[in-house]
Amino acid sequence: MSSQTGLETGASSSATESSTAAESVLEAYALGRDDHLNAPAFVIRPDEVTAALADLRDEAGFDHCACVTAQQYEDRYETIYHLRSYADPTQEVSVVVPTPIDDPVSRSVTPVFETANWHEREAYDLVGIEYEGHPDLRRILLPETWQGHPLSLEYDRETPQIVTLSEHDSPTVAGEDGSEPETLFLNVGPHHPATHGVMHVKVVLDGETVVDADPDIGYMHRCEEQMCQQSTYRHQIMPYPDRWDWVSSGLLNEWAYARVAEDLADLEVPEYAQVIRTMGAELSRMAAHFVALGTYALDVHGEFTATFQYAFRDRELVLDCLEELTGQRMMFNYLRLGGVAWDLPEPREEFLEGVRDLLEDLPAKIDEYHDLVVTNEIFQARCVDTGVLEADVAKQYGCTGPVARGSGVDYDLRRDDPYGYYDRLEWDVVTESAGDNYARLLVRMGELEESAKIVEQCLDVLEEWPEGDREIQSNVPRTLKPDPDAELYRAVEGAKGELGIYVRADGTETPARFKIRSPSFSNLSVLPEIVRGEYLPDLIAAIGSLDCIMGEVDR
Amino acid sequence: MSAVTPLQNGDTVLLPERIADLTGLGEFGVAGELLAAFLGAFVIANLMMAMTGVAGPWAKRKITAAFTDRIAVNHLGPAGIFIIVADAVRLLSKENIIPENADRPAYDLAPIVIAGSALLGFAVIPMGSGIHLADPEVGLVFVFAVAGIASIGLVMAGYASGNKYSMLGGLRAVAQNVAYEIPLVVTGMSVVLFAGSLQMGTIVEAQAQPLVDLGVVSIPSWYALVNPFAFVLFLIANFAEVGRNPFDMPEAPAELIAGYQTEYSSVYFVLVYLGEFLHIFLGGAIIATIFLGGPAGPGPAELGIVWFLLKIWAVFLLTQWLRSAIPRVRIDQLIEIGWKGLLVLSFANLALTAAIVGVIA
Repeated sequence: MSSQTGLETGASSSATESSTAAESVLEAYALGRDDHLNAPAFVIRPDEVTAALADLRDEAGFDHCACVTAQQYEDRYETIYHLRSYADPTQEVSVVVPTPIDDPVSRSVTPVFETANWHEREAYDLVGIEYEGHPDLRRILLPETWQGHPLSLEYDRETPQIVTLSEHDSPTVAGEDGSEPETLFLNVGPHHPATHGVMHVKVVLDGETVVDADPDIGYMHRCEEQMCQQSTYRHQIMPYPDRWDWVSSGLLNEWAYARVAEDLADLEVPEYAQVIRTMGAELSRMAAHFVALGTYALDVHGEFTATFQYAFRDRELVLDCLEELTGQRMMFNYLRLGGVAWDLPEPREEFLEGVRDLLEDLPAKIDEYHDLVVTNEIFQARCVDTGVLEADVAKQYGCTGPVARGSGVDYDLRRDDPYGYYDRLEWDVVTESAGDNYARLLVRMGELEESAKIVEQCLDVLEEWPEGDREIQSNVPRTLKPDPDAELYRAVEGAKGELGIYVRADGTETPARFKIRSPSFSNLSVLPEIVRGEYLPDLIAAIGSLDCIMGEVDR
Repeated sequence: MSAVTPLQNGDTVLLPERIADLTGLGEFGVAGELLAAFLGAFVIANLMMAMTGVAGPWAKRKITAAFTDRIAVNHLGPAGIFIIVADAVRLLSKENIIPENADRPAYDLAPIVIAGSALLGFAVIPMGSGIHLADPEVGLVFVFAVAGIASIGLVMAGYASGNKYSMLGGLRAVAQNVAYEIPLVVTGMSVVLFAGSLQMGTIVEAQAQPLVDLGVVSIPSWYALVNPFAFVLFLIANFAEVGRNPFDMPEAPAELIAGYQTEYSSVYFVLVYLGEFLHIFLGGAIIATIFLGGPAGPGPAELGIVWFLLKIWAVFLLTQWLRSAIPRVRIDQLIEIGWKGLLVLSFANLALTAAIVGVIA
């Protein structure tokens, strides 16, 4: 049995289930159907979308607003809410909200799903749809003074735009009623050691207590969606995902694209290639978690900490294995549609031995990290009970990955929406219930060990695979032209959480709409929620424990 | 190893007198003595600054690298030692950028105050081998007092830089120094109860008495051995006082960029940094003097300065070790540890010591 058929049966059975549940709820609202490949899609009037989504959440259990896609057709704008359930992510439903071309105004669903706040801002910023009732509808990725909406059809790409930075008044300069304000406005970033990339957090401080924090993102925006829309499915898109979450999660990101494109074009993936993918992806996850651990120690310990160097040393060993496999340290470009680029490097035994060595040394290293970081009393004093994220808040903000699992949300697409070779391996999903900065670190530490388990089993499978049957790539047409108007949202479990991609095909070699749902984007949006009332050092620790990679947030 | 040689401190000849004798400056009356004193101060200040020069650009890098599995500087000279020269040239040739809204002259004075206050403290430290500038009767109080002046420098730097991060760093520095100066001084006073004097020379001398005689080896009554509790208290308070992990809150680069140092560049930066290192060394010197027997060690008394510097470097090594291994506490936790923990413990220590000394005497 190939995993491809597994996917199809899984998808179709769940599609019927979710379709009946959603259908009964949406009976009153739906204008029609516009089914996507992954989920039934219902067309809803803009003024009814808030109520419809509230009903879907409360009555049909669709409590995870995974993604919001906005796009423009020749005759209309469209907002798609991709909903799924945290308990069973194969339960999916899409809500399509068309708005007229001359008056693209829809209702905001922020009152129902907090995560829609940032997603709708992005839709407004890039596509130009306005959302009535949105609490804070301003640009999110582009500068405030930007003219036009880059992903709209009439956008003028030829005219360069120059953005000047102007000094803005500090809220401390004058209080509204003329009284002396008692708070301090502090710009954390865009150039700040703890923002892990280029992020700007507008912080209002009362003494050292955080009154409010507002992440300002977009400094790393590189038009990844646009670039993918201009590239062909077959070869040109695959290198881009490596550049989203750039701290060595490359293969995980590539898999997100591979999964969506393979399902869209109905491509088989040989089982042998799935094993290699699974092993490579988990090595990537280990490397990414080492970076997360090391930089987190940097935030909490200080800039001379040994943990940071140790973590980078160990990550380097993982990268060595990945380099052997893919030929690259970070920008792998190793996955191909229908398989992988090439087989394990020769001599095969040497490579397998090398990875085994890495895994053998791991337990001792994990023990050392436990000594240095996890069991350190000062570290615990800093991290336990700070930056607490409650499970229901995490769900509201669409948090996934270690952030959600640290809050006890047992959600892991590798298990819940199986792909690759995961469902045939023995491993556990790591969860913690506390939801604080400490719990998120514990989850990552636990996942390091689980990933090692998965890699080890993959090695066993690879070792015993018969030599004559090592098919690394299925037969894939030279050019891929998926059916026009085929729409699909598919996600994989990236290092930071649910990394999803929505693709709409228009019968050509390139996607008509390529929307990236990055886990860091949603995870970061919860930051103000977890740092209000905490101290400034906790804000830094919280940013670190959310482990957002700005390349993935800004795309 | 032979027995610890007691130091001849009773009839101490201070450095200025020695210089006066050697050069014949003593014959020129007060002016000659002043000049001799100046020369002595010059020697000690340069010794300390040279040590900082070794520590900052080179030793610190090497030590941290050793803790973190790296190599650090190794291109210039043997073990990269000439990086000191290269770094000195680099730092001094950089443009001194002064922020538009800096509050001068406080901004300009702060680095001098920070570096100067630490240098002043070395005046009363007996470093062995006859290097001892002055030995006033209130030596220990003097050294705490001048080291405390640094707080003024820190708050000046923090406030005058016109930068919010500097401001926060300066505020933290003051809160921290106020909270930890008291335990520091109170713990220091428990030593005074043993020695019966505030004079540095006398304190060192008192520690030369054997604590236990084991035949071949005689263990001296260094106060670190006599009262290890006070020693540990003092060490901890000292880390907070010099702002090093786990108490490096005033700088906390991940939070406050570099706190009060953020806006300093070029020569001013060198001065601020110099001040930091001098304070670490001064902390080490105080610890060595009042807890580790000062310049005492095996071998002839002339080796005193070597033992003394070794002790200072041991304390420096400890700070670097903690930097590599220990997380920093939060500012509120730091204040809590200071006021609720160390302060209480230090007074308990003082009371206990007083009781014990009272009973034995």
